[in-house]
Amino acid sequence: MAQKNRLQSGGRVDRTKPVSFTYNGKKYQGFAGDTLASALLANGVDLVGRSFKYSRPRGIVAAGAEEPNAIMQIGATEATQVPNVRATQQELFDGLVAGSTNGWPNVETDLMGLVGKVGGKMMPPGFYYKTFMFPQSMWETYEQFIRKAAGLGRSPKEYDPDIYDNINQHCDVMIVGAGPAGLAAALVAARGGARVIIADEQNEFGGSLLSSKETIDGKAGSAWVSEVVKELATYKDVQMLPRSTVNGYHDHNFLTIHQRCTDHIADRAPNGQVRQRMHRVRAKWVVLATGAHERPLVFGNNDVPGCMVASAVSTYINRYGVLPGNELVLMTSNDNAYRTALDWHDAGRKVVAIVDSRRNPSGDLVSAARDRGINIIAGSGVIDVHGSKRVQEVSVASLSEDGSRVTGSVQKLRADTVASSGGWSPVVHLSCHTGSRPVWKDDVIGFVPGATVQQQLIAGAISGDFTTEGALSQGIKAAQEALSKLGKSAPEMAVPKTDKVVQGKPMALFHIPHSKPTSQAPKQFVDYQNDVTAAGIELACREGFESIEHVKRYTAMGFGTDQGKLGNINGMAIAAKFLNQSIPETGTTIFRPNYTPITFGAIAGRNCGELFDPKRYTAMHKWHVEHGAKFEDVGQWKRPWYFPKPGESMHEALNRECVATRESVGILDASTLGKIDIQGKDAREFLGRVYSNAWAKLPVGKCRYGLMLKEDGMVFDDGVTSCLGDNHFLMTTTTGGAAGVLNWLELYHQTEWPELEVYFTSVTDHWATMTISGPNSRKLLEELTDADVSKENFGFMDWKPMEVAGVPARVFRISFTGELSFEINVQANYGLHVWEKLFEHGAKYNLTPYGTETMHILRAEKGFIIAGQDTDGSVHPYDLGMGWAVSMNKPFSFIGKRGMGREDCVRKDRKQLVGIKTIDPNVVLPEGAQGVFDPSAPIPMPMVGHITSSYWSANLGRSIAMGFVKGGLDKMGEKVYYPLADGRVVEAEICSPIFLDPKGERQNV
Amino acid sequence: MSDVKATGAEATSVPTKVVMNQLPGAGIVGQSPLHHADLETVAKNGPKQGGVKFKEQKLMGLLTLRCNAQNPEQAAVAEKLLGVALPTTPLTSVEKGDTSVRWISPDEWLIVVPGNKAFALESAFFADMPGHYSLVNVSGGTTIYQLSGANVKDVLKKSTPVDIHDSEFPVGKVVSTVFAKSSAVIRRTGEQSFELVVRRSFADYLWLWIQDASREFGLVVEA
Repeated sequence: MAQKNRLQSGGRVDRTKPVSFTYNGKKYQGFAGDTLASALLANGVDLVGRSFKYSRPRGIVAAGAEEPNAIMQIGATEATQVPNVRATQQELFDGLVAGSTNGWPNVETDLMGLVGKVGGKMMPPGFYYKTFMFPQSMWETYEQFIRKAAGLGRSPKEYDPDIYDNINQHCDVMIVGAGPAGLAAALVAARGGARVIIADEQNEFGGSLLSSKETIDGKAGSAWVSEVVKELATYKDVQMLPRSTVNGYHDHNFLTIHQRCTDHIADRAPNGQVRQRMHRVRAKWVVLATGAHERPLVFGNNDVPGCMVASAVSTYINRYGVLPGNELVLMTSNDNAYRTALDWHDAGRKVVAIVDSRRNPSGDLVSAARDRGINIIAGSGVIDVHGSKRVQEVSVASLSEDGSRVTGSVQKLRADTVASSGGWSPVVHLSCHTGSRPVWKDDVIGFVPGATVQQQLIAGAISGDFTTEGALSQGIKAAQEALSKLGKSAPEMAVPKTDKVVQGKPMALFHIPHSKPTSQAPKQFVDYQNDVTAAGIELACREGFESIEHVKRYTAMGFGTDQGKLGNINGMAIAAKFLNQSIPETGTTIFRPNYTPITFGAIAGRNCGELFDPKRYTAMHKWHVEHGAKFEDVGQWKRPWYFPKPGESMHEALNRECVATRESVGILDASTLGKIDIQGKDAREFLGRVYSNAWAKLPVGKCRYGLMLKEDGMVFDDGVTSCLGDNHFLMTTTTGGAAGVLNWLELYHQTEWPELEVYFTSVTDHWATMTISGPNSRKLLEELTDADVSKENFGFMDWKPMEVAGVPARVFRISFTGELSFEINVQANYGLHVWEKLFEHGAKYNLTPYGTETMHILRAEKGFIIAGQDTDGSVHPYDLGMGWAVSMNKPFSFIGKRGMGREDCVRKDRKQLVGIKTIDPNVVLPEGAQGVFDPSAPIPMPMVGHITSSYWSANLGRSIAMGFVKGGLDKMGEKVYYPLADGRVVEAEICSPIFLDPKGERQNV
Repeated sequence: MSDVKATGAEATSVPTKVVMNQLPGAGIVGQSPLHHADLETVAKNGPKQGGVKFKEQKLMGLLTLRCNAQNPEQAAVAEKLLGVALPTTPLTSVEKGDTSVRWISPDEWLIVVPGNKAFALESAFFADMPGHYSLVNVSGGTTIYQLSGANVKDVLKKSTPVDIHDSEFPVGKVVSTVFAKSSAVIRRTGEQSFELVVRRSFADYLWLWIQDASREFGLVVEA
């Protein structure tokens, strides 16, 4: 039968718009305006999951974010799967596919049920700690089993096709919650000219007013809501965000909002639309109008489907036109919940009884119930519920005046629905996120937000005033206060008129006693989602866990996505009672973001896939792609790694590139090297202080290699700096070190030597740099320039301006290969032009493009270091055998000079960089291999240093390596051994790291 | 080379600084950082309606000036050469004719002129600017994106944490800040138009980002 629990009229659903959906493989119908939960209840679906630990059947308990049981897996296709969606928060749309996540293999016939029944006894609190701890090696097996059994949903296995988004927002007043308090605050803040954001997790604004029959200014509450929303829409600085959960409240009034933009429309976001957005809000003032959650009472078998929170029942009736049962028993400790019995009765179904824990309930609502002839059983409680997949009967017994004991005999009542209310708990989650501890208030029977360091105000039920009148007046007041703090004049606004209802005093009652002691009574659930019972909490206390934080962790109360919305206060009250102390003495655990689960998509926004990390390209990148380059990431740069020809292996390509460069000419795109333009009369002096070598006498037109050290004397970058003019230099840095070096120069200039007249400007991206290297490089360059580049007039370590291929260029005769080399720099917009011209003319010289790998091999053949590969922040120039790059005679000291003089830095047995030649020339040592002097030493062997660079050199026809060896510079010709992980021990000889052309004749031609 | 200049009047003296005309003759066409994206074709074939408009203002002349605006001589010469005084109020810009100047830091400005005027400006500073300063041509390392349209602010909000509300970011304001996971010098050029100066090597990443962030509003590419 379709929608057997749907009322003929009433509610905010559109009965002219039927919507079909699939739940656990079966098709159902609901209406536009339904949530998945209201539609399931309309269809009489009682079962929405199995409990986590005991595998007990569970039904829908609540109507909002606090729902602990109806946690769904949503998604019609594999790619659109979303776990952890509360059915109470999922709007219904045509084609919605949902499934319960708890219950394995399915909800109706549950294998775990059998285990669960046994497991109930086997899985007391602390079960995981006690049972699954040992043996540790089995943990992964246990974990798989537990995860599957727990069934808290799963992530999609396919790529999510939807677009997600992050957006930054700024406002004067951020209002969290659009119930009566939030709306009143928004109205005043908007009228006062503030920039306002108001967010609410529901599909429409109104909060409690959407689910009640209260009036405001004589009209239906929802009519007042429409008017307010209409007015708010006229202010250009007011942003209204429905379907947007404020999930996190972080320091400095930074809030994160999870907005579901299209989850109510379709399984996939319609073309081009963003599915979910995370708003990152920086608010000057925050008004928390988050309302309150009704507390269910804790009684025997209170988790049998049909047991619900009282206000949720009213919400289903009034907002969705759904009556989720036939015969209601209401169990309450307060007047307010009487509304549920009235709503049920007025909708035409039977209220079996109102069971009130108070001896003499009185008040307008109590009278209204009496007037309708509803049976009120005072001074009593529902102590047990009977039924398995749906409530069939309840046991009612009279209680002692303080509600601590069962005093009378038990009577049984037939009912299929038990609504319960133990009062309301202010939603203090967000205020807790920033570290504020909530404060207990006896008159509220709940915690309210405590002192905060944030610019935070509260309004409405969160303050403990649960009346609509209070909400409206506090909302107005909060906005006025925020406006005046912002220096804006606050408009007056009269508090709209609300219904006057006289209510009797509520009773502070959380746990309904059973005739048997708690430990032997039927299970009394406190936290449905984590299967925490009153007996479990008492057991935790008995086992010595007296701090509420320990009780929480021992029992799992309030864990995970639940965040204790329904159960926490009850749990604390039970612990307090058992420990014979007050609730404030017991204290409370606090909450952390996120308030409800948020998808990874919304967190990631567009920072994924291609956009996960910037990719930096040089001006010649397109050419590299077209010529088959394989790329290597160097920082964020995509640098050509090598250029394989069709069918060529990496090894073959590298051999070809290396040989071609040494035999004729190769070309490297060196644009990624950091470049810094340095100007000022003290530029030269500054260089002398930041480099270890001397710069005072470098003439204009010359280039010099330099090492840069940190204060401790350790090398952190290197590069060639050229003297363009007497007060004008161009510094180059390593690709990865560019930004760090510029920061370093600015740091020292701004903090240590501001008196030096020097300016630094990054020109890394401005110049495209291409290095032609090899014996034929001069011939090639001569074809493209009129300048004299002969040995006599353009010597090694000179630079010259000239035109290359018609483009003005700076050409540097520097070499990282040991070959005759020219580094051509042109304005980057002309880089590709010059590069292509070089190839036009270079064909006859077999001009060979090479990438970073060949560059590494060629420089290693020459023993040139790469800062960051052959250095690691723990080596100084002398360790590298580069004492020639240190000038101890400079008039002003240089960074690192003192550091290098430390006792530890002048030890003879420091690890020093040397060449390593394997005895078997065909063995290429792995980089990182640790050397030992005595391979027969017992393990752990004394290690003497590791290999930093190791390659096959096609030019030399053997392997070459560089590495650190203790005292290595004095051990030339001695043996060192490398025991490898695979059992081999490679024998090698310590040698000079310069394997090729030790006299440097190839570059001085 | 005739168009390489060096300070120091006598040919024999050592030059203190060099400036250099970096542009080739007219026969060689420069390729802007988004050259590979072929925006002309995209503009021709792409949608003409949408909430966001994008244009690369390419091959402009961009120069980084470092000097002391408190030094009256430097300020006067800079004003004479630029035709407009250096903005000294933080986060502001000035514009006159085809020259615009953005405040970057208390002693740093970013000057934009037509691409073929950069060298003339460099030469003029070189000849006239007294004292300690530096003017560096960064034209090849940067490009300018012009973003406009009804949803331009939404795209910026997705990309930068800076508050771009009218009250905080009036026309003419300049900030150097985070944009996506890179950076940009953002300037508001109109009610619904902004300009980003971005680095060449990040240009493609930022172009992809802007396309993605604009998708829900519709992106119109102009060339």
